[in-house]
Amino acid sequence: MSIINYASREIQFKIVYYGPALCGKTTNLAYIHQRISPTNRGDLVSLATAADRTLFFDFLPLNAVVIKGFVTKFQLYTVPGQVIYNATRQLVLRSVDGLVFVADSQWEKMEENVESFKNLADNLARQNVAIDDLPCVLQYNKRDLPNVAPLNYMEYVLNNRKKRLQSFEASSSTGENVFATLNAVSQILLHKFSKQNDVPQTIAPTAPVPGNPTLAQSETTPA
Amino acid sequence: MNSIPVLTIEDVATLDGVLADFLKKAEADLTVVIDRGGNVISQFGDMNAMDVTIIAALAAGSFAATQELARRIGELEFNALYHQGNGSHIFMNSVDEDTIMITVFGRRTTVGLVRFYSAATAKIVSGLLNALQRNELSFEAADASTRQIFADQ
Repeated sequence: MSIINYASREIQFKIVYYGPALCGKTTNLAYIHQRISPTNRGDLVSLATAADRTLFFDFLPLNAVVIKGFVTKFQLYTVPGQVIYNATRQLVLRSVDGLVFVADSQWEKMEENVESFKNLADNLARQNVAIDDLPCVLQYNKRDLPNVAPLNYMEYVLNNRKKRLQSFEASSSTGENVFATLNAVSQILLHKFSKQNDVPQTIAPTAPVPGNPTLAQSETTPA
Repeated sequence: MNSIPVLTIEDVATLDGVLADFLKKAEADLTVVIDRGGNVISQFGDMNAMDVTIIAALAAGSFAATQELARRIGELEFNALYHQGNGSHIFMNSVDEDTIMITVFGRRTTVGLVRFYSAATAKIVSGLLNALQRNELSFEAADASTRQIFADQ
């Protein structure tokens, strides 16, 4: 959000889906576009190659809630995941308000997940922003596939930090937890501007302990 | 909490007046002021059949994407971009380091006229935006939920 417009009474938020190549960022947006009420969404714009790989970004505008007379509009973007398109990722991250990091849960993709997360932190640092300063959630995608890493391993690899991020097991191709992920980042974002301003951006009770297989998934509503 | 520039109703009226005057002089159809992240700040003109939100996102991307091209020939960026269609055209020019102005026009006018008037308009718009008050946005937390809308329908 760069400006508050008291005439149109609209507030725009930019949420970026970030993650390695082929992790399912575009599939998230396609599912949201397909399933959300048409009255609350615009067209899904995909700037993709002939092979359906995201070249520049995907973009989906959503209308959301009315708060104190303001209509909030969420603009969802994806970045191109392929390593060579880092300049494009930096452009898409400009003025970002919220982040969804989509990780590919397959074992063989773990190194790419870590690289991409590091790349996200580096690109945010170029804008003098830290991940901890932004509303951000993790989505462990493709949980419906057979060769996925256990949840606590994913958490250990990607969420082993002082301020843990809220995380979701998801399958963007079936839609499982796609809306839960979007709602979580939206809630954190809205509550960042709430008068109480006391909502934790991390959900400590679900934080994993490496080696503990009983990891609860959370979709905690901020207080 | 972040401090964010605020467009009051008076600011919007002033901005609309500037943009209306520009459209009239340049004989263009639509003008949109956006930030470089793709958010719409202000818009004026014929918005039928156009999703301004999408135009803003794509225009910001297009403007940013040419920056590297500009650097290759020793420029910081291109101050203006022109996309020529068969009947409708888009002219984009830099307002300041955070803001871009997009103008959509057709056969009634020429790119030269649009470019001429947009340069002066951009200076006025930049002055207006830089003079905006800053404020903190705060919601009632209890009001803020997206769950009913962001859901399977």
